Amino acid sequence: MTMYGPSGVDVGDPSEGSVDPAETPARPPGRTELVPRLLGPIALVVVMAALGFLLSDNVLLTLQEVLALAVFATATNLLLGQAGLVSFGQAVFYGLGAYTVALGWLHWQLPFWATFVMAPLLGALVAVPIGLVALRARRLYFALSTLAFSELAYQLAESRYDFTKGANGVFGAFVPTALTYPRTGYLFVLAVTVASLLLLWKVNHSPFGLVLRAIRENRGRMQALGVNVYLHQLLAFVISGAFCALAGAMFVVYSQSSYPELLDWTTSGGPVFMAVIGGMGTFLGPAVGAFIYQFGHDELVRYVSDWQLVLGVVMLVIVMFWPDGLLGGLGRLARLLRKRRGDR
Amino acid sequence: MDLASLVTPLVGALSAASSLFIVAAGLTLVFGALRLINLAHGSFYMYGAFLATTLAAWSAHTGLWIALAASPLLAAGMGVVVEVGVLRRLYAREHLTQLLATFALLLIFADLALRFWGKGVRGVSPPRVVRGNLELAGAPVPLYDLVIIGAAVVVGGGLWLLLSRTTLGWKIRAVVDDPEVLAASGVNVRLLYTGVFALGALLAGLSGVIIAPQQAVEPGMDAQIIVAAFIVAVIGGLGSITGAAVGALIIGIVETMGASWAPSWASTFIYLLMILVLAVRPWGLLGTPER
Repeated sequence: MTMYGPSGVDVGDPSEGSVDPAETPARPPGRTELVPRLLGPIALVVVMAALGFLLSDNVLLTLQEVLALAVFATATNLLLGQAGLVSFGQAVFYGLGAYTVALGWLHWQLPFWATFVMAPLLGALVAVPIGLVALRARRLYFALSTLAFSELAYQLAESRYDFTKGANGVFGAFVPTALTYPRTGYLFVLAVTVASLLLLWKVNHSPFGLVLRAIRENRGRMQALGVNVYLHQLLAFVISGAFCALAGAMFVVYSQSSYPELLDWTTSGGPVFMAVIGGMGTFLGPAVGAFIYQFGHDELVRYVSDWQLVLGVVMLVIVMFWPDGLLGGLGRLARLLRKRRGDR
Repeated sequence: MDLASLVTPLVGALSAASSLFIVAAGLTLVFGALRLINLAHGSFYMYGAFLATTLAAWSAHTGLWIALAASPLLAAGMGVVVEVGVLRRLYAREHLTQLLATFALLLIFADLALRFWGKGVRGVSPPRVVRGNLELAGAPVPLYDLVIIGAAVVVGGGLWLLLSRTTLGWKIRAVVDDPEVLAASGVNVRLLYTGVFALGALLAGLSGVIIAPQQAVEPGMDAQIIVAAFIVAVIGGLGSITGAAVGALIIGIVETMGASWAPSWASTFIYLLMILVLAVRPWGLLGTPER
């Protein structure tokens, strides 16, 4: 078990977020497992918090955005990796979260804390009608329906100038001054990220999460067993929508603005890419993907103008040759090494 | 309201519908045979338009006529490379994989186009013979609008003939239902897939040339048209050529009417329409439910 480091890789072990019970390594279950299992995540959080006091302001600002994207990607992966629902419309909720904070301040002078709490609630509320419609369609048609909602939201935000300030977006001092400092902002966003990921982890590992994966694997059989597939997927869509909206509200701490592009279907593609890069079959894969995606972007645009070209090629290579993503691949490697050691 | 005041907007709507139809027809054809949503379809369209502007800049008189042949060929060539190099390896995998692969291709093609053609807006004027207006029932009608409508009729008719009157068309329709039986009866299914995909790309490239004289040719038109083509194809029913025609007509009319009556709501209304259709018939007006 000490084969790989206590943090990083261990938390990404596919057995945690994975679906296939056969993949669960044959460790003896017991209380001894609990401590090393918790050790990884706790160490990771401690290191991340410590980084808040070590890194430069610029990096901390980037990390704020990365953490918001990490929650966005993890919430999207509840649909993608767990429920097998390919949504190209999660930006609806991401943008909704950002606009909740910005417009609450603009029109009703609502304090940041109130709108920040409202964002996930509104996200869940809006996810109900969208989910009711989109989930009537299956597979590709579901993806296209959600894409249509994303474009609808984008068009609404862009054309309703009186309410949303149109293409300009909303800028202003809606984030409390304390959070505008890179360090406090980072620590706040980090705390929300940890809480969100814990909750989403709970969802993944609940009986509900199990049913979602079972529906993904064999929809017909679950239906025959008397499971209400539509309702389960709707609940997953609502939970995902709530957390995507929360991620959008977190993003505002970094951007201090909200603009229509946050709702666009290409924004919806972002978390899907991140999940694929990191590994859809693992719980932390999408979050790791968010780190790679955003830091990769920030580093690349410094040197080359063709950031999309590089992203496209990387995506293509991953999709074609490494479909289980970075953490999925590492998990495979770890299992292989463990097996080798067992053979000896 | 007299007839003359109706003719101009009507032709405008038909022309808008026609250009949408040519793009969407290729998309829906590929979906029909390969069960694949090609997000890079808009890239073929954009490359067709870009090549047309380059050729027109090279020779004002003959450039566009050469492009009429060169752009579809370029797009078809790109289609072959994409199908053989990437998509062929992914047919056995789930649809998300294929969707993401074509999304990645969209990004790659977009940045490559920036390298070749730059960021600026490019334009090209229609060939001299089809420039200007025509008097129709006492109303001025842009001649080029009629060209686009004619092109759509030719493309639609050609596809109908191909699919319903030729052996190749029967094979294309058969491959949707049962590729294995078709392969067992001696048809080269892999080649058929490549051919259909190239044909879809060819149509995208062709639409790029035809639309180039009417619209600004610029980066970003790929992602823009792909959303429009989706709406058309999805409303009509993915996989159905007739559906694409119906969808294009609906969107063309709604777009043109909306633009004159409620400009700021026009695009919103189109998405609402699509969502409405998907809510009632998730597989589109003329499509078939997914198995």
